[in-house]
Amino acid sequence: MPWLQVASSGDVKETGALGVDVEGTPVALFRVDGAVYATHNICTHQFAFLSDGYVEDGCVECPLHQALFDIRTGRAMSAPASADLRTFAAKEEGGLVFVDLTRSAGTVAGEPHQEPAGEPGAAAEAGERLVIVGAGQAGARAAEAMRQAGHAGPILLIGDEAEAPYERPPLSKELLLGTADRESIRVLPADRLPSLGVGVRLGCRVTAIDRTARTLSLSDGSAVNYDKLLIATGARARRLSVPGADLPGVHHLRTIAEAEALGAALRAARRIVVVGAGFIGLEIASAARRLGAEATVLERADTPLERLLPPAAGRVLQSLAEVHGVAFRFGVEIAAIRRDGAGLRVDCADGTAVAADAVVVGIGTEANLELARDAGLAVDNGILVDGEGRTSDPAIFAAGDVAHYPTPINGRRCRLESWQHAQEQAIAAGRTMAGQATTYGRTPWFWTDQFGRNIQMIGLPSRDATVFVRGTAGEAGSVLYLLEGGTLSAAIAFDDPQAIRDARARIESGAPVDAASLGAVPLPAATSASACPGAPSDCAASGAPAEESQTMAEPQPSFRWPEEGLTRIPDWVYTDETIYRREVERIFHGRSWNYVALEAEIPNPGDYVRSNVGPTPVVVSRAEDGSINVFENRCAHRAAEFCRSLRGNAKEFVCPYHQWSYDLKGNLVGVPFRRGVDGKGGMPKDFRAQDHGLTQLAVTTHRGVVFASYASDMEPLADYLGPDIMGEFEATFDGRPLKVLGYYRNTLPGNWKLYHENLKDPYHATLLHTFLVSFGLLVAGNRSLMLCDESGRHGVMASAKSDGKNVSQENKKEMRAYQEGMVLEEPRFVDYRPEFDSPWSVTMMTVWPNMIVQREMNTLGIRQIVPTGPNEFIMNWTMFGFEGDDDEMLRHRLRQGNLMGPAGFLGLEDNEAIKYVQDGMKNVPDGRHLVALDPATEAGTSDTLISESAIRAMYRHWRSVMDV
Amino acid sequence: MDSIFNASGSRTDQLLLRAEIDDFNTAYAGALDEGRLQDWPGFFTDDAFYLITSRENHDAGLPVGLVYCEGAGMIRDRAFAIERTAMFAPRYLRHIVGTARLLRAGDDGTVESTANYLVLQTLFDRPESTIHQVGTYIDRFRLIDGVLKLQERRCVYDNLLVPNALVYPV
Repeated sequence: MPWLQVASSGDVKETGALGVDVEGTPVALFRVDGAVYATHNICTHQFAFLSDGYVEDGCVECPLHQALFDIRTGRAMSAPASADLRTFAAKEEGGLVFVDLTRSAGTVAGEPHQEPAGEPGAAAEAGERLVIVGAGQAGARAAEAMRQAGHAGPILLIGDEAEAPYERPPLSKELLLGTADRESIRVLPADRLPSLGVGVRLGCRVTAIDRTARTLSLSDGSAVNYDKLLIATGARARRLSVPGADLPGVHHLRTIAEAEALGAALRAARRIVVVGAGFIGLEIASAARRLGAEATVLERADTPLERLLPPAAGRVLQSLAEVHGVAFRFGVEIAAIRRDGAGLRVDCADGTAVAADAVVVGIGTEANLELARDAGLAVDNGILVDGEGRTSDPAIFAAGDVAHYPTPINGRRCRLESWQHAQEQAIAAGRTMAGQATTYGRTPWFWTDQFGRNIQMIGLPSRDATVFVRGTAGEAGSVLYLLEGGTLSAAIAFDDPQAIRDARARIESGAPVDAASLGAVPLPAATSASACPGAPSDCAASGAPAEESQTMAEPQPSFRWPEEGLTRIPDWVYTDETIYRREVERIFHGRSWNYVALEAEIPNPGDYVRSNVGPTPVVVSRAEDGSINVFENRCAHRAAEFCRSLRGNAKEFVCPYHQWSYDLKGNLVGVPFRRGVDGKGGMPKDFRAQDHGLTQLAVTTHRGVVFASYASDMEPLADYLGPDIMGEFEATFDGRPLKVLGYYRNTLPGNWKLYHENLKDPYHATLLHTFLVSFGLLVAGNRSLMLCDESGRHGVMASAKSDGKNVSQENKKEMRAYQEGMVLEEPRFVDYRPEFDSPWSVTMMTVWPNMIVQREMNTLGIRQIVPTGPNEFIMNWTMFGFEGDDDEMLRHRLRQGNLMGPAGFLGLEDNEAIKYVQDGMKNVPDGRHLVALDPATEAGTSDTLISESAIRAMYRHWRSVMDV
Repeated sequence: MDSIFNASGSRTDQLLLRAEIDDFNTAYAGALDEGRLQDWPGFFTDDAFYLITSRENHDAGLPVGLVYCEGAGMIRDRAFAIERTAMFAPRYLRHIVGTARLLRAGDDGTVESTANYLVLQTLFDRPESTIHQVGTYIDRFRLIDGVLKLQERRCVYDNLLVPNALVYPV
């Protein structure tokens, strides 16, 4: 096919894409570094025109879900796209653009748009030879900037790590958590530097600079000449100089390899000690908590980030960490680290010690400035440079972490370690070296992600600044303003990028500001101490989270428990809205494992079911890697409950309202028109998808049963249940694969706890359920047990079937329901066919707070409690058998199912009785219940059915959690 | 029976059969609405299967039922147990059954049909009657001694959330 003329050259610009129709094929035209490229115009993920997308760094980003494609190769660079984009050969002649639909871009060798061959030195004569020492973010960006600024001569990038340039911020965040991999954090696409004709030598260290001869000596014995040199050697993690600092299990974090090692260590560890309460230390503590480990931070100073921030601001970060369970110890000098059995022990100078499975040292960095210092360049704690990046030798420049530069803030000089500095100051230096003098004068900007907050800082804080706060310090949307001499020197915003933009303008204007105009008030010096007055250390171990104390401070009805103690239960326990809300917060969303699904319901990747944790709708999903994930069924954008089907199979979850899309783990992968259209609208520039995923819950499974928790640091299920309850759990879930037989669902107009009580109340079974009694399934003389765990929250009501013949006349009289002579025509449906390794034919297990395991002889089911308010809940029943049941066993289970469920002979009676109880409380003020049976057992396990000790045990636990 | 559905079967025969099924359903609903639970098993053959299940289970091919009776014995046991032993608040139920839709006649002399139903429940302490269940009967009838009997009735309800408890048959 001949070349087809598709556009005028002038219409294809570097900043964007042009969509054209070429004989029915939608084609996107791009211009990258002067040359034109053509790709198919429709994203391979979902239908969207890439010509509406965002072009940057030789890639086009789909406007719909931010799939990223390399324009030259069509390669899909990021999720959610996995299929590459078709490319077409393109060329320019006589001011016109031509495309050949029959050939892809790579097949047109020798066309004018091809990049110059990448051999360094091949065109050495064309210009100066620029050499960059250090292949990190600064080095890579400088190399790119040199070429983009028009430098035609050779460029050589030398790095001592054997890694292509990568960005470091994810090392202490996504890479630790495993939500990003090493390829996703590269500074540039793999072919970017070769295509720019930049030579790269990795795994090679520069050992000396001969400034007179303009020659570098390399660790491999070779030498390299330069006309101009850029030193971007970065910094290294400072090491502890104490015995044991180099033991296995003691980590530092600076390189990709160290991050991967630390990530693995955090996942394996239960207890982490972080030495140093700087940003890196706090981020590592955050990652550790997220991964379920205990985290203790040891800091020599008295507040976090003491060298950088005023103490009051540091304490805000401390509080945030403490609320998430991080323990701090301040004023601690490390004396030694020792091996202690399988773990480590950190010995402090004051004689105390902290045990850990892994220790992470985050005590700052030291610039790699030896090369410069030995060459006689002026240095402080970094290499001194001017605003254009020039050192004391005009042929030598420095950039990134190693550079000590004049900030625009009152001319203060410092060394800045930030993504922004490594990026933009390096670009300025690179452009200057290429002949386009560029001064770097950006206001310092920095971000950190910790404990679910995106925290951004603008300006240059100093310890002496006065701190003002807008909002509740540390909460989303709050801002700390640091004022010095009547002007704003810095601002720290929590989940509020807009505040950072506003603050930047104020800082850059240098105009006087007062706190009132910022809507801010002085930050109390002891913000953190509100949780733990006077003792900032070890708060998390002992203290209630700060938000709880706020809840308690609100005016509210007085919840006074009756003086008689546990034998009385006041009605407000079951009817009060405030109590209910506190239950959701502290019980269902608190430290509990909540039943959500059976693994048998989601056997394959992409399978999902709707479920609930407390009242909160969640989705239980099996991801491509086989993992089970539980996340809120609430779009991170506008709260829409996006998943409406009861179950299904999906590749991703897309909220229908604005098409935000999430992967099978609940991570946000796509935001339509995130970049706006035609440069207008769209999300703030600093919007980061990883900060706006669905709320994800901790997940555990046992014997095919899936539990979820809002607490990220829940104890293992076995510890949560305790050995007795776990034993009964494993008697029912005995390892045979489960087979779901169907569902019942019903509402129940009663308080959710009444259902627990019903199953901790063996007294009722003999009296309410005539059916059971009549057929000898359960009578007062039967062998039985009411078992409680240590905490009192879980229970098992167990009994062994008898034939009814041993019921004494005296017992029969007491049980009015007992009906002599009542016989079933088809009694086989109440047969017990032994199949479990258990002395009990019936066990009813209550797993706090939302699960009941029904083993009523051979009819098996899980009941899930979904509270919808104090006066009503929904009960979801999942009835199951086992794979391998023969047809007769299956039908036996189904026939026996007539006992349970909202139409079951027993089930309907329980539902009715609970409704009666709730009705009885409606119109009687200040009522109370009497639960005094079996005074010999104050609370807990009882071997008589005529007991309410298990109910009392439950309320002992409930009261401790609820503070009533 | 088969002839009714043949091309040669007269339109009148079809109308008569449908009327007969509608009469059956009216009588069935009457027995339940009037609380004559002891009469309810008489609408079934001895080998009858009676099931109340949600549309969720029915559509997914999941076998459980709120009520699952194999044979007239189990149906009689349920009527007996509900009437004699079960504890629940007194209530009135009213079944509104739509016109039957004939599906097919089997070679064995059975007739399959469906009819939509609505069960209204009235408790004694509330003024309103509530829609307790909305669903469809999926039926197979057989003539026993010239009288229609249910060999199978599957009550498939749309409202997945049962309001508290389902006491009486549907």
